[in-house]
Amino acid sequence: MNSWNIEAIEAILSSQGIRLAPGRAAKIAAALNAGAVADPLRAVLELEADPTSYLLAMERCK
Amino acid sequence: MNDPFNAFIHVEKEPLNRGKPGPLSGMPLAHKDMFFRAGKVSNCGSKIRKGWVAPVTATVLERLDAAGALQLGTLNMSEFAYGPTGHNEHWGDCRNPWNPDYITGGSSSGSGAAVAARLVAGALGSDTGGSVRIPAAACGVTGLKTTWGRVSRHGAMALSHSLDTIGPLATSAEDCARILQVIAGFDARDSICSREPVGDYLSDRKTKVVASTAWIERHAEPEVAAAVLAAAKLLGATEAEAPDFDTLSAHCITVMSSEASAQHARWMRERPGDYSSAVRVRLEAGYAIPATTYLEALRLRGAWLERFCAQTLGSADVYLLPAMPCRVPTREQTGPKGGADMPRLLGEVTRLTRWVNYLGVPALVLPCGVDSRGLPIGLQLVARPFAEAALLAAGRAYQRDSDWHRRTPTT
Repeated sequence: MNSWNIEAIEAILSSQGIRLAPGRAAKIAAALNAGAVADPLRAVLELEADPTSYLLAMERCK
Repeated sequence: MNDPFNAFIHVEKEPLNRGKPGPLSGMPLAHKDMFFRAGKVSNCGSKIRKGWVAPVTATVLERLDAAGALQLGTLNMSEFAYGPTGHNEHWGDCRNPWNPDYITGGSSSGSGAAVAARLVAGALGSDTGGSVRIPAAACGVTGLKTTWGRVSRHGAMALSHSLDTIGPLATSAEDCARILQVIAGFDARDSICSREPVGDYLSDRKTKVVASTAWIERHAEPEVAAAVLAAAKLLGATEAEAPDFDTLSAHCITVMSSEASAQHARWMRERPGDYSSAVRVRLEAGYAIPATTYLEALRLRGAWLERFCAQTLGSADVYLLPAMPCRVPTREQTGPKGGADMPRLLGEVTRLTRWVNYLGVPALVLPCGVDSRGLPIGLQLVARPFAEAALLAAGRAYQRDSDWHRRTPTT
């Protein structure tokens, strides 16, 4: 899981040309850390699964 | 037009398509201010696009025009469709016709309020994380989130291309079906629009309904749980395993944040001060999500869809749950002065809608009660991909045996 801190947030946004409003980095770091999940399906995900595999799953699930 | 709810952004001097024949002839509609009509302004609820004149007409509007539907004007919405409550500091908050102190829900705030106040018979909204269903629930109307790819998004403002869908809000499942029948179907101008044949959305069929009653009893507020479980009983629901709502919601947020922030990158670099504080902070967060996290969420999407269909739906057609586990909050509780509890409350508002967008499946929200404060309670029905016909049949069956959808606000 990621563990975000203020410096990391400021650096990554700055590298993309995004100016943060004052005091925002701490809020964003907290939100991202809170949103990290331990997904049980990660452990069984096939190497070949890619984002387009979803379209095949949709076909199978109709 | 008398609109004390700030639902309308623009009212046409003369409704478009008056006297035109077709399956929706004379049906008065207005749409969220993000469906483009060539030569007309589409503000997208924002300061940045204020006065922007659209160069094309949305496929959904072309199809409604051809069906003879009246268009009365454009409707208020959350800024760039990126907010679940209906607050808007650029165009003014939309007010809930049941009680103006409470949120309409968003982002299709004007669509929910206008239908609830019976200013229109129906309205289009968009749904990326609950933006049709939350206003439908909070305003006591019926709203349909369609399968990803069922309805063309050509000529509609984009938020998150892997999640964005378009659907109707109306006073009944029957009217949602009539509108969907017109707007659904392949369109080569939307690269993800499906070639799946359009169903008969007005046909009756028996549907098997399942629900996770223990989850509802444990996690929904008591008045919400009581109303939703009463609906489950009416529909003969049997037990099913609850999906992992929180994991699926987290993936939805990852995908939505990444894509929305990429979509808005130019304006976020050039004029970040023109966004409201609430939208700006949501967009800022998206730039910190690693590409690998975003892509992993998309790689997992198919596996989660198959798990939902196999383990939760099984042989059933429809999964039943609340639209929101909480009662409708006030505008103050969820606005800029909301205080320390606001993030938790916003999380509750979207807790049971975002997972549906991540899976890409259709969902119908219907009114199923009124709480002790006089605010509506919404029921949500979820089905497998492209099973809108089953959803709408279940919705019509419920509305034949109940009258919540006929109740109107007293304020």
